[in-house]
Amino acid sequence: MAMKNELVEIVGKENVSGDPEILESYAGDRNFASHLKPWFIVKPKNADQVQEIIEWAKETDTPLVPVSSGAPHLRGGSAPDVPQAVIVDLSGMKKILSINRQQRMAVVEPGVTYGELQTALANEGMTLSTPLAPRATKSVVASVLEIEPRLNSIHQWMYMDPLRCVEVVWGDGNRIYTGEAGGGVRDLQKQWSQEKWQVDPLGPMMLDFYRLLTAAQGSMGIVTWVSLKCEILPKIHKLYLVPAKESEDLNDFVYRVVKLRFSDELMIMNGAYLASLLGESASRVRELQGELPSWVALVGIAGRELLPEERVAAQEADIAEIAQQGGLKFLPAVPGARGEDVLKKIINPSDGKYWRETLKGAFKDIFFVTQLDKTPKFIQTVYQLAEEAGYPSTDVGVYIQPQHQGSSYHCEFSLPYDPENPKEVALIKELYLSASEKLSGLGAFYARPYGIWSKLQLNKDARSAVELKKLKGIFDPKGIMNPGKLSI
Amino acid sequence: MPLEDFRPMMERCSNCLNCKWIPFDKVRSQRFSENCPSICYNNFNTYSARGRFQLAQTLLDGKFDYTDTVVDVIHSCTACGSCDVTCKICRYNLEPLEHNLELKARAVQDGHALPQQKPIIDSLKKEKTMIAGRLKADRSGWAKGLDVKDLFKQKAEIAYFPGCKYSYEENLQKVSRDFVKLLSKAGVDVGLLGNADACCAGRANQMGFREEFEESAKANIKTFEAAGVKTIVTPCSDCYHTFKRLYAKLGMKIEVLHAVEYIDRLIKEDKIKFTKSVPLTVTYHDPCHLGRLGEPYIPWDGGEKKVLNQVHTWEPRRPRYNGAYGIYDAPRDILKSIPGIKLVEMERIREYTWCCGAGGGCSETYPDFSAWTAGERITEANSTGAEALVTACPWCESNFKNAVDENGKKIKVFDIIELVQQAM
Amino acid sequence: MALEREIYQAFEDVVGKRNISEDPGILESYRCIVAQSSAHYGPFNHVTPCPQAVILPGCTEEVQNIVRLCNKYKIEFKASTTFQAAMGYIGSDYAIQLDMRRMKGIEIDEKNMIAIIEPYAIGATVQAEAMKVGLNCNMAGVGCSSSTLAGTAGWVGFGPSSLFMGAASENMLSTEWVLPDGDVIRTGSAGAGLGWFCGEGPGPSIRAIFRGKQGATGAMGVCTKVAIRLHPWPGPTYVPSEGTVPAYKAVLPDNFKTYTLCFPSWEAWADAITLFHENDVLYLGHRQFNMFGRDIKAAMIKILVDPDKQLCDLTTLMADEVTKAQNEDMKLDIQVVIAGMTKRDMEFKEKAIDRILADTGGWKSELMLQPDIAAWTLLYLIRLGHKNLNYTKCGAYEGNFGMSANVFVTTPLMEEASALKRKWENEHTSVAAVGGDSEMGSICLIGGGGPMGWEFFDDFDAYDKDSIKGTFEMIEESQRWMTSKGLGADMGRWNADARRPDAYNYTQEEHDAMFVKAAQPHIYAYQWKVREAFNPNHLGGSYFRTLDPSKL
Repeated sequence: MAMKNELVEIVGKENVSGDPEILESYAGDRNFASHLKPWFIVKPKNADQVQEIIEWAKETDTPLVPVSSGAPHLRGGSAPDVPQAVIVDLSGMKKILSINRQQRMAVVEPGVTYGELQTALANEGMTLSTPLAPRATKSVVASVLEIEPRLNSIHQWMYMDPLRCVEVVWGDGNRIYTGEAGGGVRDLQKQWSQEKWQVDPLGPMMLDFYRLLTAAQGSMGIVTWVSLKCEILPKIHKLYLVPAKESEDLNDFVYRVVKLRFSDELMIMNGAYLASLLGESASRVRELQGELPSWVALVGIAGRELLPEERVAAQEADIAEIAQQGGLKFLPAVPGARGEDVLKKIINPSDGKYWRETLKGAFKDIFFVTQLDKTPKFIQTVYQLAEEAGYPSTDVGVYIQPQHQGSSYHCEFSLPYDPENPKEVALIKELYLSASEKLSGLGAFYARPYGIWSKLQLNKDARSAVELKKLKGIFDPKGIMNPGKLSI
Repeated sequence: MPLEDFRPMMERCSNCLNCKWIPFDKVRSQRFSENCPSICYNNFNTYSARGRFQLAQTLLDGKFDYTDTVVDVIHSCTACGSCDVTCKICRYNLEPLEHNLELKARAVQDGHALPQQKPIIDSLKKEKTMIAGRLKADRSGWAKGLDVKDLFKQKAEIAYFPGCKYSYEENLQKVSRDFVKLLSKAGVDVGLLGNADACCAGRANQMGFREEFEESAKANIKTFEAAGVKTIVTPCSDCYHTFKRLYAKLGMKIEVLHAVEYIDRLIKEDKIKFTKSVPLTVTYHDPCHLGRLGEPYIPWDGGEKKVLNQVHTWEPRRPRYNGAYGIYDAPRDILKSIPGIKLVEMERIREYTWCCGAGGGCSETYPDFSAWTAGERITEANSTGAEALVTACPWCESNFKNAVDENGKKIKVFDIIELVQQAM
Repeated sequence: MALEREIYQAFEDVVGKRNISEDPGILESYRCIVAQSSAHYGPFNHVTPCPQAVILPGCTEEVQNIVRLCNKYKIEFKASTTFQAAMGYIGSDYAIQLDMRRMKGIEIDEKNMIAIIEPYAIGATVQAEAMKVGLNCNMAGVGCSSSTLAGTAGWVGFGPSSLFMGAASENMLSTEWVLPDGDVIRTGSAGAGLGWFCGEGPGPSIRAIFRGKQGATGAMGVCTKVAIRLHPWPGPTYVPSEGTVPAYKAVLPDNFKTYTLCFPSWEAWADAITLFHENDVLYLGHRQFNMFGRDIKAAMIKILVDPDKQLCDLTTLMADEVTKAQNEDMKLDIQVVIAGMTKRDMEFKEKAIDRILADTGGWKSELMLQPDIAAWTLLYLIRLGHKNLNYTKCGAYEGNFGMSANVFVTTPLMEEASALKRKWENEHTSVAAVGGDSEMGSICLIGGGGPMGWEFFDDFDAYDKDSIKGTFEMIEESQRWMTSKGLGADMGRWNADARRPDAYNYTQEEHDAMFVKAAQPHIYAYQWKVREAFNPNHLGGSYFRTLDPSKL
């Protein structure tokens, strides 16, 4: 009670909850993590309150788990691994602090979702490069901090784009701005009045502070705003589909398009994954699984403010030629899917229910970073493991997304399952574990090491584990920030 | 110019790194991108032109005295001029080669010549050759039996000056003889200096023995005047540079041509006709002293002038000696006109050629370094797929003939005159 | 304090006799006579300390063993490759200098567009190897003579190609470091031996402690390998450089064009640059030749493209009416290169440039369209082999008015900065009188557009002590101006807080006094903590700026 009161002192009564049902909703997530109920949910409204919460947590040795997105939580990062943890729910911090068309920048608080931000940006003629059809409740801040892969890797000069600067309260209670913002006074209004727009994420000085927060699952500090690099809103935006029998058949095509810096959105999916994306119901997903090609590359082309028609026409023709040179077809539609429908789906957040749950109600995914020419062996392995486990390989969704202008690729396997069916849950859990391990052995790089992936990855990289521990010791000396994550 | 007078240049060097690489615009691979054998072999910065500029400053400031290593740094420059060319792509007011040579001269003056240099200089003084072990009396032996004018008895249109290598080395003696016959066949009026023929002493200058060089040079100039020489033709690139640049600076007014210039002229005038095919793929090595150091001496007696407050210029315009107008095309034109020859180029050619390693006296004073330098060139030559390496300098030829590439492989080495002869 | 014999012997046992020296002649040439160095970023009228030994390691294991010995005997060490800048040199009397010359590997993965390189692979050689397989690399503005690894891991590293290719940090993938305490780490995907394709993770990126904005500048261990991203090069397998030295030029196929775009006002200039930032049109963008100076650039270009011209032709050319008009025409200019990946792509890019010019009232310089000059410019910008033209006029230069802010902040200040410099040129003789504005810089220092990376070029004579002194004073004045405009540390002062004016490392107390006043001092306090954790013996020198947290 005393502890709760101390939190109430900081954020106000209405922003602290110990209600068991609410606590349960934060505890469960879909990563098969051990479900530990949090102690309280606390909802700060600003960075001052966040800083006070952290000071309190230090004094009381209370673990904190920062959460910005609404349910469902999928990766395990937001479920406590230790008892008596306090969830710091930032989803109520919903301000869009600035949008600057001239600099193509926006600054947002953690609770802002993609839908909210895109609407606001569109009013200024801009948009944000998004991950694939994010869920409606997804926090933009959480998404960029967790480096969810962007659809347009051609405009991704930095691996972490569109993430630029942040304000962070570290686990030791200190608060700084990172990047260019860290080189000036810690006051956004003052910086803006000096025409500083938090554009350059590097540093300041000799450390890339923001890199200590990315893919960190909130284990270093709590971010209270981020600045984001935006894109110009397309005047013309088309999507084409390039079908193929095997994923390898698309690799050379994708390599070439990426090398020439053509296209905007570009990715590869198998039919099962695309079916999940497009199907409005489980039955429709099943129908689409039968209609859609086995594999398809999705190629988006945008014309913006400068010569939009010309740009689109040139790229359409050139990419069509590249496809043709590889014996492929560059089509506005394939059986089961039209380009404009697919485009709408991929660049917008899910309406209502998250599309990945459509088929069976839940899904488990395995993803990692690799190179495109290595993906066939991963695909073959997962299909084989699925069949061996008694899971239909035809249900396995595969999504391959170029990152960082094609220097690496996000490779993702999606395994839909019925969460109400205990046998299926057990099967998926076992398949997830065995596949994760097998893929690790084959060279998968778990750059975003959720759950067991952190052990799989860091066991092979002992030096990194040692150095990460040192960093953790600096920025979260009392170990209060989401303890148990990252195996450090 | 005394070393002290180079002080402005030393301090104006901005460590821009040009002196360690071929012109950056010419880099086509990493393997063949470097230019200075001295730093490539020895690795420490001190062995570059910039390093020597800095070394000289600290020597002049008395920060330390000569050590064995310092002497080594100073003398292990092949005086190839590569640093000079690339420096001058950037700078209009630095003379790294001249400075390197001055540093050597200062070291020698201060009593820090290399022991290995002594027999060479002694030989120059005594036997009028810098090939130690050879005798003056044998110098003209290569011409025995040749029907050719003695310039002290009859005037001739050109004086043929073979140089020490062509005079003493057996395989090159034949080339020399063949060249004289070729000239005669082409109707050229050629004469020899006979017993008055003596080493040009260019290598003495390259090693820092200024006094000995000037003494020999002045004596030779007198000899040429006495023989009424108007034009010298020489197949030796070292001699070519020495006469054209250094002797001219001492007042010699004789026209100097390299054998390749003359052969090229004869081909273009149709006085040489090729009747045989020489089916061979070759690559051509530009000798430093024919190419980038093959520009003529231009008298200059000017000084520094600053414009726009600090922009350093020369008044009047100062000759650049940056290799722009060296002899590159004549040998190539010759090779292209020989039936059957296919010419493939290495990456480092023309004014940015890689040194053979013999210059600066290094073939005698630093044989390992010299052999390594030549071996680098053999590697480059072999990388072209050529069957043979052709050049127009006997020092280059000797060094290449004894060298192997990084895999232990050799390559056939030809003097360009040999190929011309084969085609006739 | 000389190295004890057994310590020297230990180092010699690691690298072999040939690769270590303590000869005074050798050691003296590893001191930076800063006025004579290529790049300063700080005071430049001093000489760095003399190392106790210079060591040339040949592989990572040798570096590691050297660093271990340094830790054992508490010897400062610093690794450098090209030694172009003062920051590559040691900062104390008991220190050794590592010369990384022997480590120069380049390995290219053509398909995945990655190069794995070692320290002495300079930009020219990395680019040359990449071009063989249709690829190219970002070339830092300092030129192709610089170490790509050092620019990527150790310094800022943006240049003309950064709009298209990204700057150094954006191109950095996995790395291999010998940590300051002697352990070796591979970052990102290389850490688990999976390849070099991803520089981040697992989880938070350890490269965070090595790179930052400015890079580690050699103060946090030794980077022995870095994987960099490569980029498309739709051109021949080597740059076809021809012509008479020094006026080399490159006649490239029709899918390469260079233009000097000129604008009627800074507002128009800024608008055009923004349009270039927003649209994928340019391959390269740099206000390059203005580094010669507003009044003389056309004349300098004419000298450089003619093998028979020299600096003594400068004043004649400057007085020539035609040259004057051409100079005026390109007063507010920028050099760009477009590279068409396909014919249609080229047509689009040409059209886009014409549209941007039409919308902003700009035009193409006729002078720079002349075939020889265009070919010279193309070679210059792509290879960046002539960046040393910084030194052509006077030998030494320093950069000031380093306005790395957004283009709408910098351009309105340009004329005032130009006037301030012109005043110095006219009232003092310490720097070359080139017409004030001698600004040169990258169209942006981040891929896809963002802040500019600009500096004015102040040419001085390193042999003339008054010139050095006067230039120093001018830099002080320009710093005062920068501060008054809220523009932060001038380029000529970027490292003024990294090394004392006497060329030695700052003490902790001196750094504390500086950084406790910083706008966000915790930044420096964290750097202190990182140093304590990773470099407990403090062997990297004071380029790694720190603030003792107890002083907060």
